[in-house]
Amino acid sequence: MSIVTVQLGQCGNQIGFEVFDALLSDSHSSQGLCCKRENEAYQASCKERFFSEEENGVPIARAVLVDMEPKVISQTLSKAAQSGRWKYGQHACFCQKQGSGNNWAYGYSVHGPRHEESIMNLIRKEVEKCDSFSGFFIIMSMAGGTGSGIGAFVTQNLQDQYSNSLKMNQIIWPYGTGEVIVQNYNSILTLSHLYRSSDALLVHENDAVHKICAKLMNIKQISFSDINQVLAHQLGSVFQPTYSAESSFHYRRNPLGIDWHVRPSLSGPSSLGKMSLNKDLHFNTSIANLVILRGKDVQSADVEGFKDPALYTSWLEPVNAFNVWKTQRAFSKYEKSAVLVSNSQFLVKPLDMIVGKAWNMFAS
Amino acid sequence: TCALWQLLFRVLSPLPAGNALASIALEVQARLVKSALCSQGYPRLALAQLPEDGSQGSRELLLALSWLLARGPVPEQMLAQTRVPLGDEMTVCQCEALASLGPPAPHMEAEGPVDVRHVQWLMGKLRFRWRQLVSSQQEQCALLSKLLRTLEHESRRLEAVLAWRRAEPVFWQWMDTVLGTCAPEAPAAASQPTFLPWVPECGDGELELVVRELQTLEEELREAVERRRVAWEAKARGCGRGPEWSAARRAFRETVEKELGALQRCWEQDSGPAPAHGPHRLVRREDGAAGDRDLQAAELIRTLRSQEACLEAVLRQLQGQCRQELARLAGALPGLIWIPPPGR
Repeated sequence: MSIVTVQLGQCGNQIGFEVFDALLSDSHSSQGLCCKRENEAYQASCKERFFSEEENGVPIARAVLVDMEPKVISQTLSKAAQSGRWKYGQHACFCQKQGSGNNWAYGYSVHGPRHEESIMNLIRKEVEKCDSFSGFFIIMSMAGGTGSGIGAFVTQNLQDQYSNSLKMNQIIWPYGTGEVIVQNYNSILTLSHLYRSSDALLVHENDAVHKICAKLMNIKQISFSDINQVLAHQLGSVFQPTYSAESSFHYRRNPLGIDWHVRPSLSGPSSLGKMSLNKDLHFNTSIANLVILRGKDVQSADVEGFKDPALYTSWLEPVNAFNVWKTQRAFSKYEKSAVLVSNSQFLVKPLDMIVGKAWNMFAS
Repeated sequence: TCALWQLLFRVLSPLPAGNALASIALEVQARLVKSALCSQGYPRLALAQLPEDGSQGSRELLLALSWLLARGPVPEQMLAQTRVPLGDEMTVCQCEALASLGPPAPHMEAEGPVDVRHVQWLMGKLRFRWRQLVSSQQEQCALLSKLLRTLEHESRRLEAVLAWRRAEPVFWQWMDTVLGTCAPEAPAAASQPTFLPWVPECGDGELELVVRELQTLEEELREAVERRRVAWEAKARGCGRGPEWSAARRAFRETVEKELGALQRCWEQDSGPAPAHGPHRLVRREDGAAGDRDLQAAELIRTLRSQEACLEAVLRQLQGQCRQELARLAGALPGLIWIPPPGR
């Protein structure tokens, strides 16, 4: 089943490139630690989800690129083409010349409606290419003008036109000491609109990813490229094929079929986990937790710790809230890896901060 | 001449046509054709001596082709290779062991007030399932249109075979004249040319190794089974002893005994055909002659109908249980008005 990715704004396009690159290079990795037939099934599944096939065999990403300035898109297109292993479609991008000036309203109320038809046409063409279409993956930042404003607008349109398809928005939560003065306004406006039209919000906080780069990876001069690569790595390990309890003989059909259970107010961040639990359990409970295990010894891995009722809200049993997906096929170069995708209260505090700052700015 | 080599290759190759075949070099195709013909017993030596670059020998190749066509129904065999398998197949499962209904469903306790958030959660789950259903249906439509295109290709191939059958007598008349122009060959020498496939000698040593590996595997499995049995027994013992537990345990034991009995009967049955399992092709026969492994449609329909009746009975029983449960819940919450679903 195929996913169509919509990359919006500078952030969305840069991250989108890294994600496709990470997915394809993992798919071609030779250290899968599994038998040939398994590896071929994995590659075929990954390929069908994210790429379409051209005559000469170079996979084309199932993506639509949107930005209001030309620079980032042309960089993204050429980086992909240079890799030689994959590329974006020739007519898959839409861009303008004047930018959005980090203004959410400009993105949502001006650019969106003005270019609605062109953008939705591109998306429709991409959807029609899929034999079996499972949903949309929309990559955007909250702090800027294009990604956030047009992202909210496009998601709403997708809700109207493709009401039966799943939509997952990948949101980049800006740095607390952020780059853009009006980022708090932009963030709140974005979230309040996405809450109604999106099915799932997958959040990555710049601060958190920055810490991963600094502390876990010891990178001295952290650039956006480093951050994007870590992010793409995490997303890749969520999206690559896995088996779940319901379908244990072939790879899960729908990569977006993460059953978030309720239209959540917010989804939690995903963290590349060791399986150690968060010690302070009582202030962060989850509605749903998904653990994805890849690599050696997945069949014998012990996930009982995640079934502790204290981790979950009072009205939900762990058996309903907790899921595990596994595959023996190792991801990237990691012999074993685990990802936790959590729908929890983790973002309540950051959200409070943003709302507080926005009110202060508004009231002053 | 090159085209004839390629045609012979395509006819003799055991694999269905694909892009991979087209990219094999002509010399390789020619060599494979020679060895395949030789292993099938083709008598004319002149073919084996033809150069492999496709420069000469079209008459020999034509003779080889007509030899193959005379031996067996080549076009029909090729059609069977590339047959579109969908649409005329169904899976059948007559295994008695699998007709059992699995472990009894756990008894659901629904006491106390239900949190409205739980209901919202259930709604969300339902909505999610609904969307999955819709996208599966859309996928089915797309695949059906693909199937239609493949079937169109196949019917074109079928028409080509029919055209061949109509023109065939002319072909044989022509081939007679071609054979007439050939010089008679000396009877084939007893020596077989060196085209036989090479079978590596498998010494006893390898077999020994395999036997030993299997024995160690069997040991390991036996130990694993023992460990699991001990662990399970320990767990089962600690599971409490109330009356409902022993009732449940009795039910489990009965189900297991039934399944075990069915499995044993399956194994011990060596008289009569094995129960059918797996995909079967639907073929319409006028003469009523059924092969050994064929199943009569009427018999299958009868079996399926009886299975359907059993399942319907179980369904009605479960529905009755649900209705009783709902009635009980409705009684327990006096302030609420329940509208039960219409009974059937």
